[in-house]
Amino acid sequence: MIVTRSWLSEFIDLSDVSNDTLYKTFNAIGLEVDSIKEITIPGKVVIGKIVSCEKHPDADKLNVCKIDVGTGTRQIVCGAANVVNAEYVAVATIGAVLPGDFVIKHAKLRGVESEGMVCSSTELGLPAMGDGIMILDESIGILEVGKEFGEYSTVADTIFELELTANRGDCLSIYGVARDLSVALDRELKVFEYRQEEKMKLGIAREAEIHQEGEIDADLYYKLANLEHLHSSFLIDLRLAMIDESTEGKLDAMLKYAMHTTGIALRTYQSSLFRKDDKVTVFVRSSEKGIVEVVGNGKVLSTVGVNQDDTAKATDTSEQILIEASYIHPDVMVEAVWSAETSYATDDLYYYTSRGSNPDLAFGLSYLSMLLDTYFEFSCYEGALRVEASREKEAIAVDTKEISSIIGMEIDKSKIVSILQRLEFVINSVDETVVSATIPCFRHDIKNVQDVAEEIVRIIGINHIEAKPLVFTEANRLNTTSDRYRVKKAFKNRAVGCGFYENVSYVFTQKSVLEKYGFPTVEEKLELSNPIAEELNTLRTTILTNLLQAVKRNVSYSKKSIPLFEIGTVFDPQRQEKEVLSFVVSGHSESESVQNAGKPKSIDFAAFVDKISAIIGKFELVPCSRSNGLLHPYQSADILVDGKVCGYLSKLHPTVQEHYDIPVTFIAELELDPLLPKHINAEGISRFQGVYKDLSVVIDKTISYYEVAKVIRGLDLPMLKDVYPVDIYEDEKLGEKKSLTIRFFIQSMEDTLKEGDIEKVMESVMSALAEAFNAQIR
Amino acid sequence: MKELEEKIVQAGSLEALEKVRVELFGKKGVLAAEFAKMKDIPGPEKKAFAEGLNQTKAALQESFDARYEALKAEEIENLLKAEAIDVSLYGNRAEKGALHPVMETMDKIIDYFVALNFAVESGPMVEDDFHNFEALNLPKYHPARDMQDTFYFGDGSLLRTHTSPVQIRTMMQTKPPIRMIAPGSVFRRDYDLTHTPMFHQVEGLVVDEKGKISFANLKAILTDFLRYMFGDVEVRFRPSFFPFTEPSAEVDISCIFCEGEGCRVCSHTGWLEVLGCGIVDPNVFKAVGYEDVSGYAFGLGVERFAMLMHKIPDLRSLFEGDIRLLEQFR
Repeated sequence: MIVTRSWLSEFIDLSDVSNDTLYKTFNAIGLEVDSIKEITIPGKVVIGKIVSCEKHPDADKLNVCKIDVGTGTRQIVCGAANVVNAEYVAVATIGAVLPGDFVIKHAKLRGVESEGMVCSSTELGLPAMGDGIMILDESIGILEVGKEFGEYSTVADTIFELELTANRGDCLSIYGVARDLSVALDRELKVFEYRQEEKMKLGIAREAEIHQEGEIDADLYYKLANLEHLHSSFLIDLRLAMIDESTEGKLDAMLKYAMHTTGIALRTYQSSLFRKDDKVTVFVRSSEKGIVEVVGNGKVLSTVGVNQDDTAKATDTSEQILIEASYIHPDVMVEAVWSAETSYATDDLYYYTSRGSNPDLAFGLSYLSMLLDTYFEFSCYEGALRVEASREKEAIAVDTKEISSIIGMEIDKSKIVSILQRLEFVINSVDETVVSATIPCFRHDIKNVQDVAEEIVRIIGINHIEAKPLVFTEANRLNTTSDRYRVKKAFKNRAVGCGFYENVSYVFTQKSVLEKYGFPTVEEKLELSNPIAEELNTLRTTILTNLLQAVKRNVSYSKKSIPLFEIGTVFDPQRQEKEVLSFVVSGHSESESVQNAGKPKSIDFAAFVDKISAIIGKFELVPCSRSNGLLHPYQSADILVDGKVCGYLSKLHPTVQEHYDIPVTFIAELELDPLLPKHINAEGISRFQGVYKDLSVVIDKTISYYEVAKVIRGLDLPMLKDVYPVDIYEDEKLGEKKSLTIRFFIQSMEDTLKEGDIEKVMESVMSALAEAFNAQIR
Repeated sequence: MKELEEKIVQAGSLEALEKVRVELFGKKGVLAAEFAKMKDIPGPEKKAFAEGLNQTKAALQESFDARYEALKAEEIENLLKAEAIDVSLYGNRAEKGALHPVMETMDKIIDYFVALNFAVESGPMVEDDFHNFEALNLPKYHPARDMQDTFYFGDGSLLRTHTSPVQIRTMMQTKPPIRMIAPGSVFRRDYDLTHTPMFHQVEGLVVDEKGKISFANLKAILTDFLRYMFGDVEVRFRPSFFPFTEPSAEVDISCIFCEGEGCRVCSHTGWLEVLGCGIVDPNVFKAVGYEDVSGYAFGLGVERFAMLMHKIPDLRSLFEGDIRLLEQFR
């Protein structure tokens, strides 16, 4: 909603109110100021009166004007075609400095002296107003030749762009904003009064009639008028340009100006469309609540507050027009429009009516009549056709104690009453604590005590409410979600310690990419119906493709070591959500430095596993049981935590690596839930010395260490405290076999180890391995 | 004597000094030889001789010890010198990643509210109409429900457009009093310089008996919170409108870029809008079946906080995994 200072001044005296005060007041009462533009017209730009205007002898498109600028008559060459229609213009005289540091000097245009410039709106920093120069008239004030143009407050105006919240339909007009300002600034609102001169004695009933069908829950006033000559008004055109409103002709300009000023829903019709047996017959009907149709000769010409048949609109060439002012309750209409089976097209007017247009129809019609009388040759039939809904005025009873407790500050009952009165509530009764009032009909948004509290807050000003810390019962509120955040943060910090950067990507991805790499996708019937883009047309079932995309981007930024991780949500085909941790390392396993002489190794399986284990802690790897297009078939593993598969890691398949055009890359994706820390009970620590013992066994190449370890663990030897592989050896002599060296740590809880103890452990291990894998000691 | 002293001082290394020591103090050394002469010296002179010799010995011992200390110190110094490195070669390339600025900002926000005894709650991203809109006093025909803004699924569910449905779920699952925040991802169908289809919010809700919670309480906690996040800023509350709160307010801080002077970031107003808040609308309580309660709620965009706090110019860069941005937060 755009308002200007001078426009508001039609309804409220702002002569002693600075722009800064206006800015602060608007914000304080909930009319947020988006921008302020103070228009300053440069000095030495004055009102000029054109004395003569002749064609330039040597240039078709130029005119040579003699213009009275108060201090004398100047010869000025003008290039605008419309200067021939002008009487009064804005003239930049010699020495004027226009925006863009454009200094007006003596000039010769095609051999003709020119002493100044006739200005267009944009040349003076005003909004664009069509082609050519500004043709001034007295709509901006009395025109005095030679007077500085900037002295007209209607021109050197201040434009405020307000961001209205959806509930404040009552402020969708200059009048509405002025009304709210009048409460905040505690001053009178000027009453608009216009008594139309009786140009035509003929009553409307002679020429027109109205019929209704069904219960009409809208107010409708119609006036009939004959149009003869249409003129434009500089001020109206200027203000419409200031509010960035485009118009279709002079009549449309007046209509839009009247609506912006008063907030009343107005439409015009060509009366001929209603003419039946020589009488204008308006037929209004309502088949369902909230939908009111205006019909002429059996044809629906508009739906009240919603739309209008374009061909029914009156234009500048219409001879007789029907003017409609309407009001329909926004809640009733919007709900009807939304729930209707056939969808309604809505036009510009719907913006007003859906938020609540001004119900004071007489005001709208008389304001428009005033405009038309002033600028057009226009005659109006006496009286109006009317339909009025039977609508009860809404009343509300509020407990002033409750208002104080909502606000958190004691507010006097008398103060509440006075604020409500200023807001045009009609006070019906006041008892000890309760105030009963009738809600003004333009405030559709006020329905309960909290709405009233908001009005009180607005007017007393939030800044006058003293902040008070809340006293609240203490309780343990560290729930499982809080705990989960703490754990995730710990994982993140460890990942960062291992050199990873945290990535955040959309939960969207491209379905075809998931399909290409063999990942599951969300079932068709559960799929997004309005994705924002092809690349984001489905929910992700893995984070890895998003991470690879980020890797690719970083490669293009010349990054050589790209370690990224993300903790986020993925979805399964049934769209169930699950949190996962995903890792990717691409390129160098560490950054270039003196230590590695600037040539770090590429990431490899061992280095990647090292990083992951430093983050998630204890796990085991077994050959990978799953398959997707990203996995390297011979360098991929399931990650087991507490014996259960909770994710996988792999070298990125070379084909995919090539597709993304990235260096050697490793990937991992794990579910978060199995990684959440479990409760740990400490075991006793032995006070006796232990012994390390190595064992090299020759077994089939195909047997994984995991299987060997499982057999050893299965023995459940109490003295065997730790087992881990330390070497692997293969050569031609061994053929299809390999030699695996395992280190054992043997320790007793009860005693110092004796000779036989170690042998006993090693023998049981060896015989178990011999039995399980036909293993031999090397 | 002078000559012996000289020998000690001249010793250039610990090895040389050791030789001198043997020569002087050894069993076959000079001093031993001198002491041996004692037995030939007649009684009356013996005492004086012995005293003189002891003095000489003590003096030599003193010189020796001093020389030994000096050589020892020199040796350690040399040893250390041999290990000298250019420390400036290291350090700036140290391996360390970084948390994402948005996530780190979110953690900072969570830390504040957890310290003030708020519970952290969560809810699904795929929501239904009731939790995301209807229960929040956003009827079917509310403009905010425009198809343009919301991602819908074939089965009628939607991606939550704010974290507010978590409030509804929490209220329906527990009884008041409630004191919670809900951090999480939210989704709007919008993509341009200042909008991404996914972003993060933190929502807060406090509910207690009717009459206990007021707008003044909201002012207190949010003013304190914003100063915790942004330092010594001015905080301004402006009346506003949200369907789920009444009275509602938007909260601004004085511009941290120009300190209120007016700049491009604050559109020359001197203020930056950072929060929305209000007293919970009675229709919301009605939707979850609460009676005789009062409450406040607030919500904020984490990306906006992160961008303001760290002066990050481009919203979209936050979702690109760009290490050039991330490594600045090491």
